[in-house]
Amino acid sequence: MKVGIVCSRVRVEEKLLIAALKARQVGYDRIDPRKLDIDLAGEALSSYDGMLIRCLSHTRAYYITRWLEGMGVPAISPHQTVHTCGDKLMTTAALEEADVPSPRTRLAFTPSAALDAIEAMGYPVVLKPLFGSWGRLLARVNDRDAAEAILEHKKTLGGYQHSIVYIQEYVEKPGRDIRSFVVGDETICAIYRASEHWITNTARGGEASNCPVTPEIDALSRAAAKAVGGGFVAIDLFETSDGRLMVNEVNHTPEFRNSIDTTGVDIPAKVIDHLLEIAA
Amino acid sequence: MILRALRERDIPFDKIDVRKVIFDPHHVDWSTYGAVLIRCVSHTNATYASRMLEMADVPTVNPHRVIVTCGDKILTTLALEAHGLPNPATHIAFSHDPAMDAIEALGYPAVIKPPVGSWGRLMAKVNDAEAAEAIIEHKQTLEAERLTPLYIQQYVNKPGRDIRTLVVGDETVYAIYRHAEHWITNTARGGRTTHLPVTPEIDELSRAAAQAVGGGILAVDLFETRDGDLLVNEVNNTPEFHGAMQSTDADIAGKMIDYVLKIAEETN
Repeated sequence: MKVGIVCSRVRVEEKLLIAALKARQVGYDRIDPRKLDIDLAGEALSSYDGMLIRCLSHTRAYYITRWLEGMGVPAISPHQTVHTCGDKLMTTAALEEADVPSPRTRLAFTPSAALDAIEAMGYPVVLKPLFGSWGRLLARVNDRDAAEAILEHKKTLGGYQHSIVYIQEYVEKPGRDIRSFVVGDETICAIYRASEHWITNTARGGEASNCPVTPEIDALSRAAAKAVGGGFVAIDLFETSDGRLMVNEVNHTPEFRNSIDTTGVDIPAKVIDHLLEIAA
Repeated sequence: MILRALRERDIPFDKIDVRKVIFDPHHVDWSTYGAVLIRCVSHTNATYASRMLEMADVPTVNPHRVIVTCGDKILTTLALEAHGLPNPATHIAFSHDPAMDAIEALGYPAVIKPPVGSWGRLMAKVNDAEAAEAIIEHKQTLEAERLTPLYIQQYVNKPGRDIRTLVVGDETVYAIYRHAEHWITNTARGGRTTHLPVTPEIDELSRAAAQAVGGGILAVDLFETRDGDLLVNEVNNTPEFHGAMQSTDADIAGKMIDYVLKIAEETN
């Protein structure tokens, strides 16, 4: 049994994952994507039984997982998951098709169509870039003046990803959201992320506390993970004011350093055990 | 030409302008459409429109999966490789040192292409190490993240032309030469076209390449090597064919529409 961990920088998360590999005495290589010369006709990594993908760059994760797929090397997370989670529209489409509740979403290809869609939806709405993470460039739009200004700024940003406008209903949250972690088909733990700001990302100062995994959270989290393609994913859940849960986003390479002590769950151990399971 | 072929067949159709449509899965009833032919010039619009229609269970030509594969040279090469089809040797690298190793291994000249993009934009033929170093540094300075992976390909010394074929379903409809003094033979960049017969070899390779990316209405670019072999260079999912009309008698638009109708029938 030999596995690999693909990452360019070894952050806290990768150190913990490597420690879990060592604790299980599993042979592993660290593979730095910056050093890879990939011959697309070759099978250079085919001797690995499994691969853990921890690239910060979505693009690298996207191509490396696709290459591994061709070689038949199982990866966490697999290409389908990286493809789906790396793009908010692909995520929405996958959740819709699996009947997983998510905020109402519309898509428009020009600023004028986008403005019509926003007006029809009613304020407030949230505009999101199709790619990106850590809450960057999320815009909560409360009125037409804001909508016009943000649409013009998006257009001026240029690049194809800003030419498509992803518009979502704003979900009134109780000052927090829920992030659950799914490994394979198991919801291993969840945290609340509390924030005064409507963006509750912990990378932006959201405060984490343990969230008990209720049967409802468990079922919805596993359904969302399955819909996007499985692996090791973090699910962002909203609690609506009428007591329902909906899935906001799914992350294919989650950070988890702040969730281990908070939940008391050994997240890296769970991830490595799953890797060994699919590698076997 | 496509619209005329529809009218000739008395097929009711709407021209859907993606610039005006709001895609809302719960709002518009897309099921009134038997099939949708995607002719967006923008690959991005084609990608998202086809995914939204797939979600609404409306078949598209081409299907979303095909658009995703053809729109990305890395995914195309991997699909061709998976089907064992001949194509130029290709390496991928994400940074300077392995990219230089790849280029030195393939030998000069080599071609560096952006994995996404069309009309021959940002394609670089590098004849020596100095050019390779400079191009790699420029690419890495480009901000669009999806342009930064380095797709490095063996340069195929073509006889001043390449071959473009059109595959519709399981038929190779025509083949043309695209002549150019420049190594980039794209007609959008001024290449001249002439007709050539669809030989069994061209037919077989074209249909196999179309199948490898998922099948549909596809333009296949073939290179002739010095020793007489054919290689698949690229597969294009929104073929422009007005350039080819002068050099072939085939009823291109008619065949395309008949194929779309067949897909609509099979699905519904």
